[in-house]
Amino acid sequence: MENKLKVDNVSLSFGGVKVLTSVSFEMEKNSILSVIGPNGAGKTSLVNCINGFYKPQHGTILFGDHDLTRLPSHKIAKLGVGRTFQQIELYTGLTTVGNLLAGRHMLMSSGMVAGAFFFGKARLEEVKHRKAVEEIIDLLEMEHIRDEVVGNLSYGLRKRVELGRALAMEPALLVLDEPMAGMNVEEKEDMVRFILDVYDLKGTSIVLIEHDMGIVMDISHTVIVLDFGIKIADGAPTEVAKNQAVIKAYLGCN
Amino acid sequence: MTNTLPHLLLENYRKFRDSRVAMRRKALGLWHEYTWADSYEHVKYLAYGLMQLGLKPKEKVAIIGENDPEWYWAEYASQAAWAVPFGIFVDAHHDELEYYLKHSDSTFVLAHDQEQVDKILSLIDELPNIKKIVYWDPKGLWALEDKRIIYFYDVIALGKEYEKNHNGLFEEMVDKVQEDDIAVFCYTSGTTGRPKAAMLTHKGLVETARNWFSVDPWYHSDEYLSYLPPAWAAEQFLGITGGLIAQITVNFPEKAETVQENMREIGPQIIFYSSRLWEGTASLIQAKIADTIKIKRWLYDLFMPVGYKAADCRFNHKQMPLYWKVLNLLGEWMLFRPLRDKIGMRDLRYGYSSGASISPDMIRLFHAMGINLKSLYGLSETGINVIGYEDNFSPDVTGKVLPNSQIRITEVGEIAIKSQSLLKGYYKNEEAFREKVRDGWFYTGDYGYIDEQDRLTVIDRIEDMRELRGGTKFSPQFTEIRLRFCPYIKDALTIGGKDRDYVTSIINIDFENVGKWAEARHIAYTTFVDLSQKPEVYGLILEHIQRVNRVLPYGARIKKFVNLHKEFDADEAELTRSRKIRRSFVEDRYSSLIDALYSEKHQEVIEAPITYRDGRTGMIKTVVTINPVPEAPRTEPTGEKRP
Repeated sequence: MENKLKVDNVSLSFGGVKVLTSVSFEMEKNSILSVIGPNGAGKTSLVNCINGFYKPQHGTILFGDHDLTRLPSHKIAKLGVGRTFQQIELYTGLTTVGNLLAGRHMLMSSGMVAGAFFFGKARLEEVKHRKAVEEIIDLLEMEHIRDEVVGNLSYGLRKRVELGRALAMEPALLVLDEPMAGMNVEEKEDMVRFILDVYDLKGTSIVLIEHDMGIVMDISHTVIVLDFGIKIADGAPTEVAKNQAVIKAYLGCN
Repeated sequence: MTNTLPHLLLENYRKFRDSRVAMRRKALGLWHEYTWADSYEHVKYLAYGLMQLGLKPKEKVAIIGENDPEWYWAEYASQAAWAVPFGIFVDAHHDELEYYLKHSDSTFVLAHDQEQVDKILSLIDELPNIKKIVYWDPKGLWALEDKRIIYFYDVIALGKEYEKNHNGLFEEMVDKVQEDDIAVFCYTSGTTGRPKAAMLTHKGLVETARNWFSVDPWYHSDEYLSYLPPAWAAEQFLGITGGLIAQITVNFPEKAETVQENMREIGPQIIFYSSRLWEGTASLIQAKIADTIKIKRWLYDLFMPVGYKAADCRFNHKQMPLYWKVLNLLGEWMLFRPLRDKIGMRDLRYGYSSGASISPDMIRLFHAMGINLKSLYGLSETGINVIGYEDNFSPDVTGKVLPNSQIRITEVGEIAIKSQSLLKGYYKNEEAFREKVRDGWFYTGDYGYIDEQDRLTVIDRIEDMRELRGGTKFSPQFTEIRLRFCPYIKDALTIGGKDRDYVTSIINIDFENVGKWAEARHIAYTTFVDLSQKPEVYGLILEHIQRVNRVLPYGARIKKFVNLHKEFDADEAELTRSRKIRRSFVEDRYSSLIDALYSEKHQEVIEAPITYRDGRTGMIKTVVTINPVPEAPRTEPTGEKRP
């Protein structure tokens, strides 16, 4: 699948507030790209533009041959862009399996009547999707919470379920908005392991927003630094770490 | 009679082929079945594959992983190829792993997953003998390009290829395995010193299982849940050998965390837990009952005394009056059966317990619910030798000796065992063997006594028996297992010695249960440390200590105790891998705290180094309170029998 992401000269403002100013970058396919920057730098706004929650006033976002800029978000999802959210957005009343199956909703094609009576194609489809879901459960080590209602799970586990749901739609590009926020060291290590497993196994490109610099420097191929909506650096982790502008944005002085 | 494991496997294959299920495992949410033919093929191809990769007779094969069919197959295949397999606990640290692999001169390692492979690869430069590492769970290892590692099913494929030109070789190889050959190494858990490798023969394994079944028969239709680590001798005797002999279905849980759930799905007739796991199950039940709705709690409170009464009648071979019988039957349908069903033990026929001894209270509790829990006694070196007989059962004794084993008590109270399953020796340690085995008797180092009905009671390790300054003898473990019966106490260390006037105890509270207790009483707490030092929690623990004190001889009663600010942890070497306390190490580590227990102090500041899971170390500083246990009136205990 052609899954190269190209963000070209994107600007976004809410009324008089400029959130993103002419941000451009290209992402190699099959790579991990991290977006970092101080609070309010526009990281989440940028990924919201990628998956269609916000419509930038200027610029284009290309994913393969498709222009995402004016597409509604459900169509962008169909093109293979999956994401998780900084604030967990799950169906809290459903089980883990239920949430993952919901993530595969757009891959299901049997009609309402067939589904209601559970015959023929609907049945075959259910089996196929359940199998795919079980593979994700295995990958993310969620066997013990398979049938637990998500609302009862701990924060760290819910984050994992959310990653699972994003994976369920079999994305070519996975956008992870702070998947490790609020986790302890051990949970973070697990999460990094899962992200790398997904990357190794499925070859999914990953856009990662993360504040833990240790992790960012460890696993990303490219790092983009935003500050007040302007891209101030772009490159390999080691280069970015030495960049004076980045140090200034983070520490406020030279 | 067939007396080697590969031979038994071959026989079962010839008898049943695809008509009967040998193993069942849950993966991707479904139970997958392996017939005897599947098992046989896996073992055959694996043996061929390993030989292709350079496995030679007499070489050692290390197996490290969770319970899985692959674990079992690896063992049978190594034996068929005339090599010697042995298991390593999955949570073994780097240095432990290095010791096992070096000491055994292993040439192959069968490792479960990425975690184990990573551990071994980090040591590989120290281990020139290792020819290949075989892994059976490829997760996370897809991207790793390394010539030294190979996927389990690639080895199987190699074996399949090999068979094309060597049809029937496997059967010839199996025929040449002798019953006196070494079947497996069992590293003894080593409460003292480095673990020793006991060399067990095929005959030893097979005889233990056969003698066992002459007392507790297992049937073809039985389901067994494999949960104890196969690195442990007990699982070798029961699951790995017993499964072949009784031709039952061995079930493997999906993950360690899903055992409870999987138990319910399978409804096994036979399970084998360590005493720690039984204790865990009991506190789980008690915690859930405390949490449940009123009517259920009411039923529990109503029928449990009936269950106890029925159990006591069974123990004493007394007829129960008719109205009690009716009540018990009501209880069976309204409480016991649903309760057993919840924990997956509805159809359980035998629940075995091994490891450190189990409290009589615990046995009574499970029997009251209709669960036939019995303890057994044996060592890696001697097989299983003592078991609770159905017709002569008592919760207070360990059991009677099995056929073809003999037991005697030496002058100092040490248990000595003679059996068909005696080890052949310790690997590379003749001296230890000569010291332990004299005139065919194995000297266990355990203290016990035999009663007038020829029933053995095991008290403790002799070296762990203590004497106070006044000359009072007591067994710390005896006290500890009774303390641990309390759902709020997870672990306890009892202290005393020739230079001490009285007995004291260091308590680990059970965080989950005490936490729930505190919540129900609106006691706010933050962490384990905070909760453990709450005055209310001290009150709660004190109450239970006083209860235990009532059944202890006057001189052996606990006079002071402290709630430790952390749990004893195997990662910090405070516990062995089978969760026994490493007494001298812990006493040394908390020596200042122990001194404080024997002084007038009311508080003590502890500075303890801690090891995080990722290997980093740190210091924590905590203030703990030392609590006296008020004197109970001087009466000798009743009910509880003491040597």
